[in-house]
Amino acid sequence: MVEWVVPFLAALATGALSSWGVGGGTLLLVCMTLFLGVEHREAQAINLLFFLPTAGISLFFHRKNGFLDRETWRDAAPLGTAAALAGALASMAVDVSLLRKPFGLFLLYGGASMLLGAIKRGDRR
Amino acid sequence: MTDKRKNQIAGAAGGLASGLFGGGGGMILLPLLVKWRKLEGRKSFATCVAVILPMCCVSAAVYLWQAQPAWGTLWPYLAGGAAGGVLGGMTFEKVPVRILKIIFGLFLLYGGVRYLLW
Repeated sequence: MVEWVVPFLAALATGALSSWGVGGGTLLLVCMTLFLGVEHREAQAINLLFFLPTAGISLFFHRKNGFLDRETWRDAAPLGTAAALAGALASMAVDVSLLRKPFGLFLLYGGASMLLGAIKRGDRR
Repeated sequence: MTDKRKNQIAGAAGGLASGLFGGGGGMILLPLLVKWRKLEGRKSFATCVAVILPMCCVSAAVYLWQAQPAWGTLWPYLAGGAAGGVLGGMTFEKVPVRILKIIFGLFLLYGGVRYLLW
């Protein structure tokens, strides 16, 4: 099997998940670091870059279908972008191994809340 | 609290997670938009993607400054992600998201345990 096929298929599946709002980027990050042997910092950079075309293309469809809430975007995006910049700079300032356990807890929180939300209340779709 | 303030707090929380962990901002932002801000289902998913996009742009710039992935490693992820974006955008209204969330939630729990034991 050609070596790019597995990463391509992993990105295809998680790209679709991302555009459905299911959190594909996090899934890809876990796949890369735990299964595909990508070094953590490199995986983070790839994951962020991966999201750009995925989000750009899916937003084209979402906008066309009238699913975007512009007011929410105008309020949330500027402060969120500033916080992302601060978070990324903080991440660069510490050793990557220090972030593994907090990231593990973050995944447990994300997994539990997603699972409980889907089982208890069901989803709107 | 006003909707504007809720949006700002939700955006900041999602942005911080996204920058700190190199992804995952949507896992914070989406529940806040749905449960706290009471944004309608499909609109919340699509708006979440739109809010996360500029966060990823600035975070990616910072991460690239530190670690430059080789093009040979990078391109399958970018091409696959773009193809996945087309697939996801075209099938957005037809997907049984609840089942996907259950599978995805289980996988995240597994990943979390692996990271904690690493």
